[in-house]
Amino acid sequence: MKKLLYSVLSVIFLLPLLLTIIKSFTGENDLFSLERYDDLLIGNQTFYRAFWNTTICTLVISLSVLIITIPAAFAITRIKSRLIDVFFVILVTMMLMPLQVTLLPNYIGLRDIGLLDTRLAIIVPAVFSPVYAVILIQYMRGIDTSIIEAVQLESNSIVRVIITAVIPQIKPCIYAVFILSSAESWNMVEQPINFIHNENYMPLSIFMNQAMEWDILYPAAVISLIPMILLYWCFGDELKDGITLGGLHE
Amino acid sequence: MKWKNKYFLCLIPFLSGVMLFYILPFFRIIYYSVINNQFMKEFVGLQNYIDVLENQYFQTALKNSILIILVCVPTSILLSTVISWFVTQSDYFRYLSISFILPVVIPTSVIVPIWREFFHSIENALPIYLLFIYKNIGIDIILISAAIKIVPTEIYEAAKTDGATKIQLFKYITIPCIMPSIIFSTLLTVANSFRVYRESYLYYGSNYPPDYSYTLQYYMNNNFLKLDFQALSCGALINMLMILVAALIMLKLQRKYSI
Repeated sequence: MKKLLYSVLSVIFLLPLLLTIIKSFTGENDLFSLERYDDLLIGNQTFYRAFWNTTICTLVISLSVLIITIPAAFAITRIKSRLIDVFFVILVTMMLMPLQVTLLPNYIGLRDIGLLDTRLAIIVPAVFSPVYAVILIQYMRGIDTSIIEAVQLESNSIVRVIITAVIPQIKPCIYAVFILSSAESWNMVEQPINFIHNENYMPLSIFMNQAMEWDILYPAAVISLIPMILLYWCFGDELKDGITLGGLHE
Repeated sequence: MKWKNKYFLCLIPFLSGVMLFYILPFFRIIYYSVINNQFMKEFVGLQNYIDVLENQYFQTALKNSILIILVCVPTSILLSTVISWFVTQSDYFRYLSISFILPVVIPTSVIVPIWREFFHSIENALPIYLLFIYKNIGIDIILISAAIKIVPTEIYEAAKTDGATKIQLFKYITIPCIMPSIIFSTLLTVANSFRVYRESYLYYGSNYPPDYSYTLQYYMNNNFLKLDFQALSCGALINMLMILVAALIMLKLQRKYSI
């Protein structure tokens, strides 16, 4: 009985996805046909550009988040000082802040730097998002420090310490942060709308928003679904571990 | 070089980025909210806040945002607690839980077309509530089911020998033990409910949605487009104040319930 209820609930949750996939394969009079895919991929060439924009932004953002945030999180957990504790509280506050608070000053800042209307306008502010730092810091507080100190006795290079002692221990968290930052940047809506006015740099989410005919939305949705599902398939378990331990140490 | 200095070196790129894109803008917003005009830059104190609070659109937006929190957050937490209870009972449930967690990573623009087609005749904000709950429940389920797994089984066994039923076990043992995680999930859900703007914007496809869906973020974004920076800044700071109050309440509760 419980199993039945639960299964029904799961199916209801999967229903939007299944319906989207089914609808993308229908054509006139709900028969099976590939004409919507044909309209999208062959008739309308802008889809490829939008897909490429989103892919490259997502990849660059996710990798940069890892490269920049892991050493910073390591430093924050290892330095013992009141200033660092205050900084951590500031990070948590920034994490809860809505996007619009930073939207306007970032627009002015990016315009002054000259990065407005390029892909970097979306990439750079998203790389420094405090959410991933907080998750990494919470996870790193629970790892084994004796290994770190052992490597510190052996070598004087902090890069070596991080690569050999820290990264193997926080692997689940790295996967989790990678997936979360990919999902977040694949999904970005406010920043591209406000920072980018050049049609060439439009990402996928805006493309689907501005598509004129509703018909090509379903195949576009299915195609933009595939990378995310692949990522979840590969790293889904680690995602759960990463979020869990990030939340439990609060 | 001492290790401490090397740590600071690691911190520099991240620190400079966060200062440039998050902390400095925050102070800039505070500055904008207390001047009256971009050109005259006179200090007018709290006059901007009073103007914004009396603005009819802001009041509508505030009411709608608070309504979203009051409706969606308890529903999401209740549903995710019940589902997490099932998820931790057996493997079968755990395999099915993928269907709840998947919506978290699915891009919003993928779900919106089918949502629009299904709900296009409904005249209140229900589609947005459902969209938010749909997207958010996965995160709560992950957190709460992890917390349920940590509760030691000896307590359950002791209670069972005293003759407790399953519902009593759930109510008197599980819930108090996972209270810190429930509180953290509530805080996360409240913070995310302020981000429901994205789903709402994609669903209605324009900057001026119907009155029942006009939330704080629409107010702020439209002021951004109208170049009314003062109203934008005041709205943003009031928004932040609400989140901070929620966070403080949650932290107090968490301290009270911590084991």
